[in-house]
Amino acid sequence: MMSRLRKFPFWSWVWFILGAVYFLLPLYSTLDFSLSMERDKISLLAYQKAFEDKEFLATFGYSTLLAVMTIIASIVLIVPTAYWIRLRLPEARRITEFITLMPFVIPAIILVFGMIRIYSSPMSIPFTDIDLIKPLTMTKFGTNVLIVAGYMVLAMPYMYRSVDTGMRTVDVRTLTEAAQSLGANWFTIITRVILPNIRSALLSGALLTFAIVVGEVIFASFLGVKAFGPYLFLLGQHRAYEPAALSFVSFLMTWAAMGLIQLFTGGQGQTAGAH
Amino acid sequence: MAYLSISNVKKQFGDTVVVDNFNLDIEKGEFVSFLGPSGCGKTTTLRMVAGFEIPTSGKILLDGKDITDKAPNQRSVGMIFQSYALFPNMTVAQNIGFGLRVRKEPEATVKQRVDEMIGLINLEKHSHKYPYQLSGGQQQRVSLARALANRPQVLLLDEPLSALDAKIRVSLRSEIRSIQKSLGITAIFVTHDQEEALSISDRIVVMNMGEMEQVGTPFEIYNFPKTRFVANFVGSLNTADAEVVDADNGLVSVDGVQFASAEELKGRKKGDKVKVAIRPERFSFASEQKKANVVDSTIENITFLGSVVRIQVKIGNTKFNMDTFNNPFLELPKIGALEQVTCSKEAVLVLDE
Repeated sequence: MMSRLRKFPFWSWVWFILGAVYFLLPLYSTLDFSLSMERDKISLLAYQKAFEDKEFLATFGYSTLLAVMTIIASIVLIVPTAYWIRLRLPEARRITEFITLMPFVIPAIILVFGMIRIYSSPMSIPFTDIDLIKPLTMTKFGTNVLIVAGYMVLAMPYMYRSVDTGMRTVDVRTLTEAAQSLGANWFTIITRVILPNIRSALLSGALLTFAIVVGEVIFASFLGVKAFGPYLFLLGQHRAYEPAALSFVSFLMTWAAMGLIQLFTGGQGQTAGAH
Repeated sequence: MAYLSISNVKKQFGDTVVVDNFNLDIEKGEFVSFLGPSGCGKTTTLRMVAGFEIPTSGKILLDGKDITDKAPNQRSVGMIFQSYALFPNMTVAQNIGFGLRVRKEPEATVKQRVDEMIGLINLEKHSHKYPYQLSGGQQQRVSLARALANRPQVLLLDEPLSALDAKIRVSLRSEIRSIQKSLGITAIFVTHDQEEALSISDRIVVMNMGEMEQVGTPFEIYNFPKTRFVANFVGSLNTADAEVVDADNGLVSVDGVQFASAEELKGRKKGDKVKVAIRPERFSFASEQKKANVVDSTIENITFLGSVVRIQVKIGNTKFNMDTFNNPFLELPKIGALEQVTCSKEAVLVLDE
């Protein structure tokens, strides 16, 4: 009896329950509040109203598009960079890691002001009046390019680390040499050997990027675009129940994303790659 | 003209010379091993043949064509890696067919060649499996089949057996050798394991500190090492300080005990300091067989090594190891006993100090 009591991890359970209460209680309160829009009755009215709002669909769709563009651009930039550093420039790794950590240190507000300062005036050839590039902030396309570039910076720490870790697990150098000795060129090596083997790492990076972009407020607000982050922020200032409903939905979406990561990465440890 | 010719090849990383003055001609169908300790330049030389490293100077010719600066995917060279390097996202069959598909061979040809290769390595039942579902030995066989599927002009093997356990290593090395012989493919095998190199090769290149120490058949390398390094690195060896007694008759003295060697000691004179090297298995008890060198010794130690018994004897003040086959019906001498031991003149190698 005594030995059984001694084996019971009492303090571990105490900390676990405290942690669970800390995280789950606010979530439960949010859910409870979102279901009480109608007096003395549990209803999904807040959810119905939130989803019926045209602004919701428009802003969410726009943010999703921005997230997809950010993910594609990040993959195009980061995969070859991380690959080349692993293959040919290992000495550049420390400086690259330092650069990718910069978004944690420099607040987004500084980045967005810097971008507006530089790209709101035309770029001209020095000492002439000839404009090379029109101000990017003046057009919708230019603004979208700026915002995607900004999001790429914000998501860089997560995307770079995911890709780099993925490449470490599959020994890209030897796989590259094996493919080269079999006659493959760089394009074939990247598309048929490297990318399929870091699929789960790419998915992790992509889902984290998606979560960052969809909830981002500062870039979208200062560049004046109608994205989901500012919409949620405004909604929270003017309504009570709908923001709670949307917050709970975004929790569910995050969990679904985590589940997807688990589903795609499950069992990959033993394979050192996708299969 | 040689099929693969490596001429005056040098490789330098910064100020460090990794390979220097490397010259080797390899005939078609020959199996050559690069043998040496870690950091001797053997893998770098192999990687220069593969195209993963470009020589600082020198030339590499394959079938008369200069391939020195060609990219790895432009050479007809197959490579096998220590870590197998199978593509984890592809099955056995897809791995083997990868090179053929890269070359855009018709799908029927790919299928036929893949089946042929899978048959060659006896993995018919595993063609649909992924690399992680195979053992190390099976993975390396797939790696061999994948390299051979493209029908390369030269097969390069970079310590392919090092990651495997002892039994698989022995069986796989025989398999590699028999496949290489049956296909008549030219092969270069890098290893630091002397037994592997001796058992599998037509010729061995012993390397040390970026330079070739000796090139020869396994028999020549083992029995007639030309340098002290080769003598020490390949097989076990007794070495002792000695002094020339009679250069013309090949007589040297170790602690006042005379040994006769088979060759006259050219360029040396009486009193010169030299090293004497004798392999442990070349010693025997004098009563067994009368040989040229019969010397008194004291039994110092006896170690049982399974098929061999190693007996340490003291001749003068120098200790020598003597290996004899284990025979359970023969009584071994007692430690401290006085025995006469002998070795032939040919067994006594006289090396520079």
